[in-house]
Amino acid sequence: QAVWLALLQNYPLYIRSVPTENELKFHYTVHTSLDVVDEKISAMGKALVDQRELYLGLLYPTEDYKVYGYVTNSKVKFVMVVDSSNTALRDNEIRSMFRKLHNSYTDIMCNPFYNPGDRIHSRAFDTMVNSMMMQVC
Amino acid sequence: MSRSPGRKQENHKISRELFVLTYGALVAQLCKEYEKDEDVNACLDRMGYSIGIRLIDDFLARSAVKKCRSYSETADMIAQVAFKMYLGVTPSVSCNSVTGNEFSLILDKNPLVDFVEELPAERASLCYCNLLCGVIRGALEMVHLAAEVSFLQDRLKGDAVTEIGITFLRKSEDRRHRRN
Repeated sequence: QAVWLALLQNYPLYIRSVPTENELKFHYTVHTSLDVVDEKISAMGKALVDQRELYLGLLYPTEDYKVYGYVTNSKVKFVMVVDSSNTALRDNEIRSMFRKLHNSYTDIMCNPFYNPGDRIHSRAFDTMVNSMMMQVC
Repeated sequence: MSRSPGRKQENHKISRELFVLTYGALVAQLCKEYEKDEDVNACLDRMGYSIGIRLIDDFLARSAVKKCRSYSETADMIAQVAFKMYLGVTPSVSCNSVTGNEFSLILDKNPLVDFVEELPAERASLCYCNLLCGVIRGALEMVHLAAEVSFLQDRLKGDAVTEIGITFLRKSEDRRHRRN
């Protein structure tokens, strides 16, 4: 069972995958999903303030994967790709994972040595992502 | 000795995050302006000193403590009253020397480094909280206690604890206030 996670601001800030094969296919999937994310954001218009609307839900299912999206108020996009065969994962679990990610991302933003737009190199963030992904696989 | 009655007595609380972020921005800006860690540390110390010489009067007015009769009492006062009042934490105090003039404050929690995970690789000898050393040094000097204050250990540098060392020097005979 595989799961991939990316944080992007139109260019990648953080990418993690378990297991690490098939990276190219994952990158392709994430890039195409960005278009879907942008579509959803523009469809929502100016109402993008509610916590519920930050979660974009299932972006699109392919035959192999399910792609979920989330966008922060500062337009940073979180994209999670899981196997289609992973039926155990429920919508509210994905929501809470995105919320945890968002909280950890906020902590990173508060680091005075982190410049917005940099790649994310944080042990605390890695630990949190690892434990989250272990739960999914 | 208390604050004048005209001044409102309530505790103005501002957000902890704002304070921590402000301090972080200060350190980050200094890092941009100075290439060497020693220069940043020295600058933080000077700023702290400037705060300390002013803060001491606020502290004495608010805490209304009696004059300390020994270095040990002074160190306890700094840890248990001053740190508690201004940073909300209480470091533990230990005496480091037989002569009774060297003390350590061990900080279990340090609010200033809330969001800093570790120092950037190119800033390995930065004393992130050096402002605190300057504050203590400046405050002590205003009550005619000369001291050297520095970080002996720092969690941000990989040490087990964060430890501030205070070494009281011979009591300053000079009554004139010498500014840095």
